[in-house]
Amino acid sequence: MSRRSRRISRWVDDLLHDRSPRRLRGAEEDADVLAAAIALRSASPDAGLPDPHFIESLRQRVARETQGVVAPAPRMSRRSLLATGGLAAATAAAGVVVGERFATTSTPQLRLVPDAGSWVGVADVADLPEGSAMPFDTGAVRGFIVNRGGQIAALSGICTHLGCLLQLNPGARRLDCPCHSAAFAFDGSVLFKHMPESLPALPQLSSRIRDGRIEVLTV
Amino acid sequence: MDGVPRSDNSGHPLQVIDGDRPLDWERVYRENVTSIYRLLFYKVGNQPDAEDLTSQVFLDALPRLRASASGGEIHMYLVATARTVLAGHWRRRLGVQVTTINENLAMHESEAPLTDPLPRIRRILAKLPPNYRRVLELRFLERCSVRETAAKMGISAGNARVVQYRALQRAAELGREVAG
Repeated sequence: MSRRSRRISRWVDDLLHDRSPRRLRGAEEDADVLAAAIALRSASPDAGLPDPHFIESLRQRVARETQGVVAPAPRMSRRSLLATGGLAAATAAAGVVVGERFATTSTPQLRLVPDAGSWVGVADVADLPEGSAMPFDTGAVRGFIVNRGGQIAALSGICTHLGCLLQLNPGARRLDCPCHSAAFAFDGSVLFKHMPESLPALPQLSSRIRDGRIEVLTV
Repeated sequence: MDGVPRSDNSGHPLQVIDGDRPLDWERVYRENVTSIYRLLFYKVGNQPDAEDLTSQVFLDALPRLRASASGGEIHMYLVATARTVLAGHWRRRLGVQVTTINENLAMHESEAPLTDPLPRIRRILAKLPPNYRRVLELRFLERCSVRETAAKMGISAGNARVVQYRALQRAAELGREVAG
């Protein structure tokens, strides 16, 4: 009894000090006891309130790893798939690796969704072969549509540092900032920068394919 | 998801149904993160595990959500994901399901843990023998160490641990009897 009660007491100590409790030999015999300890712990006045720093940090992690994903219906029907967020879908498929890559930019990739946007055709699908990018300008928004392995996506064409217009570098397959020697990949992530401050990834715009045309949700 | 195919068999690019729109993940996250965290906290009883499991829930569930799902459907999908994530946690950690999330949890019931659990705990404590009640109050509500608890009860630390263990066993029995 005393050995058992000592182990349980250490487990309770972990709970009371907000530590992840250690493993416990013979836990199956005391599952009810552990559940009672958890219920009592949850009755503390401070229990169950999430740390705001955690909420924000998870928000950023979710943004990096799933942001912009438009989850398809369980089965993709032929007539209903979207290019919207196609690149983001690719990043989701790539999972953690891409997440870590965005992590190096230290800020999540945002999505540019105008309040009163409409779909604007910017190019023919046939004119955007795989691995290429093409600038577009709708008057209000300048950006690039990109084709990465068949995934069409649209990115803002404005450097997230100080707002210079990015230039397409087709040979290097990147978007260069002429002002301060920074470059973005075709997925919007930062390839390199020389300024000390963090550089956010390029915001992504919603895009889709309709009647052979690539359309971007913009104003 | 293997990628977004560009065309169907006819060679025409796939079409977007009008009304398709990106999932507003920020809204989904904002509206659900606190309740999912609290639900999980009440099932694991500590912050690091609750944070870890909450992260798993959102990272697993968000890519699978349909933008057309209603707020209630999304919440219940997150709760269902939390149920699976919690089960995996206990399986890995202790090999036994210490706590579970009720299969039949309706939407309003999933919010129930957000209400103050203290009254139910008080009801259970009130039914315990005085020394059992005292040891649990000192440990869990006043956050005393075992040594402090033992000193206040005038018993040895070893005895305090044994009383605490028996008190938890009795509380577990009462918990099954006391309606939540």
